[in-house]
Amino acid sequence: MVAEPTQSRIGASDRPAAGLVIDGVVLVRGMRVIQPALSHVIAPGGMTLLTGPNGSGKSSLLRAIAGRLRPMAGTITCAAPILYIGHADGLATALSGRRNLGDWAGLNGLPVDVDVIEAALAALAAGPFADLPVRMLSRGQRRRLALARLALSPAQALWLLDEPAAGLDRAAEAGLDRLIAAHLDRGGMVMAATHTPLATGRTHAELALEAQP
Amino acid sequence: MTGRMMNTGNIKSSLGAQIRRDIALGWRGRGQALVMLGFFLIIITLFPLAAGPDEAQLRPIAIPVIWIAAMLASLAGFTRIFADDVACGWVDQVALSPLPLALYALARAAVHWALTALPVLVVTPLMGLMLYLEPVGMPPLLLALALGTMALTLLGLIGAALTEGARGGTGLLAVLVLPLAVPVLIFGVLASAPADGGIVTPHLMLLGAVLLVLLALAPLVAAMALAEAEAETGA
Repeated sequence: MVAEPTQSRIGASDRPAAGLVIDGVVLVRGMRVIQPALSHVIAPGGMTLLTGPNGSGKSSLLRAIAGRLRPMAGTITCAAPILYIGHADGLATALSGRRNLGDWAGLNGLPVDVDVIEAALAALAAGPFADLPVRMLSRGQRRRLALARLALSPAQALWLLDEPAAGLDRAAEAGLDRLIAAHLDRGGMVMAATHTPLATGRTHAELALEAQP
Repeated sequence: MTGRMMNTGNIKSSLGAQIRRDIALGWRGRGQALVMLGFFLIIITLFPLAAGPDEAQLRPIAIPVIWIAAMLASLAGFTRIFADDVACGWVDQVALSPLPLALYALARAAVHWALTALPVLVVTPLMGLMLYLEPVGMPPLLLALALGTMALTLLGLIGAALTEGARGGTGLLAVLVLPLAVPVLIFGVLASAPADGGIVTPHLMLLGAVLLVLLALAPLVAAMALAEAEAETGA
């Protein structure tokens, strides 16, 4: 699985993109500027925690990096594959968690063997409820199914996590921390918007966003 | 664009996974398709009830009635083509996968057509008989109806994707799609009753041309509309 190098839609950056490079990004929602000029770099193996009050643009920044929100100006370059887990879990409520995870793996050309899926579910202790339709599951259980995708991720990927620990119990939080630590150790990148400590004990950069008036 | 591809996987296998997911979802939601079929049957059945069982009155309107019923029934189902996938965040995942959004939209349309329009085609001969349509008139009607419902589904694809961007609800969808569906209706009705008995008429070819144009354009337009579509829960 080799990442396809791609360039920002806004224009080519003159810096080589070893990891994620955000250069002078301006984000606008409707008529409101929510991020005036943001620059940030994550190198392979690096983690950045996005902090800031509600409405400071953390989710919008993650969506922009994921290519789901067009920046008004500036460039975002990242040669690594991107795995985005936003507020919405991306689970079809009529299907089982196992089916959802398998479909997602198939969509991305990742291995869909029974063992691999089972191991991914086990990483967040999601096995016991993986065969129930998602509509019967709690918020935290759905979150665990969505996060189980991380266990299938390619090594060098950039993970964009939007409040990943929201609704998780202690055991699942520990599972998430283990996944993040293992990902960083093999040279992956993580950017997570969070209000609570995440993967404590790992060195990380902090990017504090401010709410715009 | 940043690293859009989750990885450079095989588009064909991604498309296969998407289609299998759509079929699984469509099968679990088959009640919805049955409701649309029932809607189609009821609209047609109302005509003999309202106009009386007089053959001289029913036979001339048989084809237009079947077409209008098929059009309204398919319109009723368009709103759900993308709504669930956008709301649950699946479209975000597709956007980062090797599968282009245009192909995703086309897959949604194909499965939607198979689940909603095919049953309508199956019961159409029965409805035709009820309206005194002669058996010899069935093949051209079914052929035109097959092409026409495909074209309508592609129109619905555009409308559904634009509605996701605009969050205007279903009313907007009808306003957007109905005027564009008029050429399909006109050519479709004309192609369903060929004057000289041949099946492949100029009207059928025009209907086919409309279908081909939509086949090329609708997935691209839908992909543009879905490029930044976002779940309401996203802050």
